[in-house]
Amino acid sequence: MKHWFLPLIAGLLAALPIAAVAAPVDRAGLVAKLCGDAGQMGEAGTALASIAATGDDADRTWAAALPRAAIDRKLACDEAGAVLTEGGLDAVTRAPREAQGTPRSPLLSLKNRPVFELADAAFALRTAPNAGQRAAALKILERRPALIPEGLLERAAQAEADAGLKAQIENLAQSAALNASDPAARIRAIGRVAENTNRRTLTQLTALKNDPAYGADAGFRQAVDAGISRVERGIAIGDVMATLYNGLSFASILFMAAIGLAIIFGLMGVINLAQGELIMIGAYVTWLVQQGLRSVAPGLLDWYLILAIPAAFLVTAAIGIALEAALLRHLYKRPLMSLLATWAVSLFLVNLVRVIFGTQNLQFETPFYVTGGVPVIGDFIFTWNRMFAILFAVVTLALTWLVVRKTPLGLNIRAVTQNRDMAACIGIPTRRVDMMAFGLGSGLAGLAGLALSPIYSVNPQMGQNFIIDSFMVVVLGGVGTIAGTVVAALGIGQINVLIEPLWGAVAAKVIVLLMIIGFLQWRPEGLFAVKGRRK
Amino acid sequence: MTSIGKDRPFLALVLALVVVAVAMPLLAGTPFGLSRYLTNAIGQLAAFAVLALSLDLIWGYLGILSLGHGLFFAIGGYVIAMYLLKHSFEVTGTVPDFLQFMGWKEFPFYWAGFDFFPYALFVAIAVTGLIAGLFGYVSFRSRVGGVYFAIITQALVYVAMLLMFRNDTGFGGNNGMTGFAVAFGWPMGTSGMITALSVASLLVLAAVLLGCRLLVGSRFGALMLATRDDETRLRTLGYETLRLKLGVWCLSALIAMLAGMLYVPQVGIINPRVLSPELSLEIAVWVAIGGRGHLVGAVIGALLVNAVKFWLSFAAPEVWPFILSGLIVLVVLVFPNGLIDLAKLRLVRPMGARRMAAELEEAR
Repeated sequence: MKHWFLPLIAGLLAALPIAAVAAPVDRAGLVAKLCGDAGQMGEAGTALASIAATGDDADRTWAAALPRAAIDRKLACDEAGAVLTEGGLDAVTRAPREAQGTPRSPLLSLKNRPVFELADAAFALRTAPNAGQRAAALKILERRPALIPEGLLERAAQAEADAGLKAQIENLAQSAALNASDPAARIRAIGRVAENTNRRTLTQLTALKNDPAYGADAGFRQAVDAGISRVERGIAIGDVMATLYNGLSFASILFMAAIGLAIIFGLMGVINLAQGELIMIGAYVTWLVQQGLRSVAPGLLDWYLILAIPAAFLVTAAIGIALEAALLRHLYKRPLMSLLATWAVSLFLVNLVRVIFGTQNLQFETPFYVTGGVPVIGDFIFTWNRMFAILFAVVTLALTWLVVRKTPLGLNIRAVTQNRDMAACIGIPTRRVDMMAFGLGSGLAGLAGLALSPIYSVNPQMGQNFIIDSFMVVVLGGVGTIAGTVVAALGIGQINVLIEPLWGAVAAKVIVLLMIIGFLQWRPEGLFAVKGRRK
Repeated sequence: MTSIGKDRPFLALVLALVVVAVAMPLLAGTPFGLSRYLTNAIGQLAAFAVLALSLDLIWGYLGILSLGHGLFFAIGGYVIAMYLLKHSFEVTGTVPDFLQFMGWKEFPFYWAGFDFFPYALFVAIAVTGLIAGLFGYVSFRSRVGGVYFAIITQALVYVAMLLMFRNDTGFGGNNGMTGFAVAFGWPMGTSGMITALSVASLLVLAAVLLGCRLLVGSRFGALMLATRDDETRLRTLGYETLRLKLGVWCLSALIAMLAGMLYVPQVGIINPRVLSPELSLEIAVWVAIGGRGHLVGAVIGALLVNAVKFWLSFAAPEVWPFILSGLIVLVVLVFPNGLIDLAKLRLVRPMGARRMAAELEEAR
C-alpha cells in the first residue's frame, strides 16, 4: 500500500463534487422534500447522502439525524415544516417546539428505503464514535457500492483511526471508484483493485468487460485485461498455498492423533483402540477447564486452551496408566486379544461420557488467538485456529522427541521397543517402562483432543472419526518411529487435501487406503521399520 | 483331532439346532408354538452364528484376525436385497423408494438379471471371491499379518461404508434398501415366511457347522493349525502356506456372505451400517467370548451375546454397552479361550482348583 497515494486520489475524486455542492444547504427546502411525495423524498435521500460525503461539518451535524428519523417514522410533518418527534425539535431549526395540527409521518417507499439506509450508514461511518458502529455502517455500504456518493469513502478513510477498518474502507473506495465518472480515475482504480487478489475482485474486474468503455477506450481495456491476469495469477498462487496450508494443518491433527498410538504400538505391539476415546476425553477435560475458569476466574477464560494443557495430559495419562495396570499387562503375549480389550474400554468410555455429559456437541469459547486470520494472497487466509493446531503439533513433536531421545525414560522405552527380553536382562524395569510409555502415549492423545477442540465438534463419538486415520498413519509410518509418524501424517494429510476438492472425501479415503495396501507390498513393516525381533 | 463321533459338545449343538429347526414349523399354530418375534429372533441369531463361524474359521484356526468381515456379510446382504427388490418389482411393478428419491424411473443397468436368483447368487459368490481373493492375495503375499492385517481390513470395511453412504451409487445410499414384498414368489412378512426363513437359517447353520467340523478335523485342518502355530516352520518343511491361507480366507468370506443372505430377508432392511467397523469388531467379540478355535464356542458366543443384546437393547438400552464391555474384559482376562473354558471345567470332567489353574496356564 502506498499511503501517500490515497489522499491524492481522494483529492482528485472529490474536487468535482465539492464544487457542485459547495453552496450552503437549503435546509428548509430539504425538509419540505422529506415531507413531499415519493419522488421528492428520493431526491431528499440522495441529497442527504451527498451531504454525508461532502457537506461541511455544520451541515453534516444538522443532517445526520434526518435519515434515521425518516426510516423509523419519527418525523412528524405539519403545516410549519416538520418536527423530530424524538426530543420534540423542529427539523429545520432544531429549536424545541410542539407539532401543530394533525402531524403525519411520511412512509418510505420500497425504492426510497435503501437510499435512506445508505445515507444513514454514510453518516454513521463518518460520525459514529465507536469502531464497531462504523464497521456495521461499512457493511451496509458494501451492499450497494454503486449508490455510494463520490468522495464519502475517501474522506471517511482519512478520518478513520482504526487501522483494520481504514483498510476495509480503502478497499471499498477502490471498488466504488471503478464506477467513477473520470476515466483516468477508473483506470487508477482498476490498478488498485487488482492489488487485492481474490475471487471477489476478479468478478468485479470481469464485470468491467461489459462496460461500454471496454470496447471504446484502448487504455481502459488494457488496464482491465492486465488487472484480470494479475488477479488470476494471485488466485492461483493463493490456491496452491491454501492447499499446502490445509494439508499441513490436517497432517498436524493426524500426527497428534497418531503419535501416542505409534508409541504404544511400537513398544508393546498393542493396538490401542481406545486411543480415539482418549482424544475425546482430552477434549472434554479442556471443556471442563473452560467451565471451571468461567466460574472461578472469568478474567482468565481466554487462556483456557493453554491452562488446560497439563490437565488434559495428566488426566488421559492417568487413565492410560490405569488401563495398562489393570488390563493390558495381562495381554502382552496376545496382541489380538488386547485389541478387543481396548475396544471394550473404548465402548465403555464412550458410553460413560454419553451418560454423564449427554450426546450433544460441547460449546467452546473461541479465544482471540484462534479467531480470524490474515488474508495473504488470492483467497488464501492464514487462519489462526489452524496455525494453533500446527504450532501445537510442532511443539508436541519437539517435546516427544526430547523425551524419547534425551531422557532416561526415553532410553528405556527405545531399549524395550527393540528387544524386550534383552532389556529386561540388563536390568531395565520393563514393567514400569510399559506403564510409563502407555501413560505418555495416552497423555499425547489427550493433548490431541485439546488441539482439536477449537476446530472440530466435540461429542462422545468424535474419537471414532480419528481412529482409522491414525491407524493408517501408524501402519504407513512403521511401528513406533516418530519420524515415520511425521512423514506418514504429512503424506496422508496432503494427499487427502489434494484429492478431496477433485473427487471428494470418499475418494480420498479410498485412494489413501489403496496406496497404503500397495505400499505394504513393497515394505510390509511401513516406511521406517524398527529393526527389532518383534514379529 | 478327535473324530466327530466323540466330540460330544459338537454333536449336542448340531442335534439341538436340528431339533429346533424341525420343531418350529411343526409346533407353529399350536399353543406351544413360538411367537413371530421369537421365531424371527432365532433366525437372526442363527445368521449371526454363521457369521461368527466364518470368522472363527480364519481367526481361530489360522490365526488371521479380520476386522472387516462385515464387508462380506454386507455383499451377501446387498445382493439378496437386490434380488428381493427386483423380484418384488416384477410382481408389484413399483420402483423402490430409494430410486424414486434419486428421481430415477428404472433400475440402473447393473441391476439387470437380479430377478433371477441363481444369477444373483452367482454374482454374490463372484464379487465376494474376487474381493476376498484379491485382497487376501496382496496381503498374504507380502506377509502382512497379525495386527497389521486387522487394521487394514478395518480400514477396508470403513472405506466400503463411506462408499455405500453415497446416494448416487444405485444401492440405496444412506437410507439403504427396504420394502421387500415377495421372496421366491411368496409374500414376505407372513408367519409362514418368517418360520421358513428361520428354519432355513438354522439348517444352514447346522450344515456350515458340520462342514467346518469336517474341514478342521481333516488333514487340511491340521495344516491350518500348523500354519497358525508356526508358519515359518511349515514353509521350511515345504508347504505352500500362501495358497492354504488364501483358500481358507476365501471360504471364510463366502460363509460370511451366506450369513448376510440369510440375515437381510429376516430384518427386512440393509443399509451401510452393516459396514461400520463396529459391527466387524463385534463379530470378533462374539468369537472371543464364545471361544475362538472352537466351532461350538463361536456359535455359542454369537448366540449368547446377541440373545443378551436382543433382550437388553429392548429392556435397558443404555446399559447394554457397559455389559458388553464388561463381558469382553472378563472373558479376555479370566477365560483366555472364551466361555468354552468354562464348559470344559464344569461339564466335561470335574477337577480341582490346581488342575484348573494348570489348564488355564497351558491355554495361555
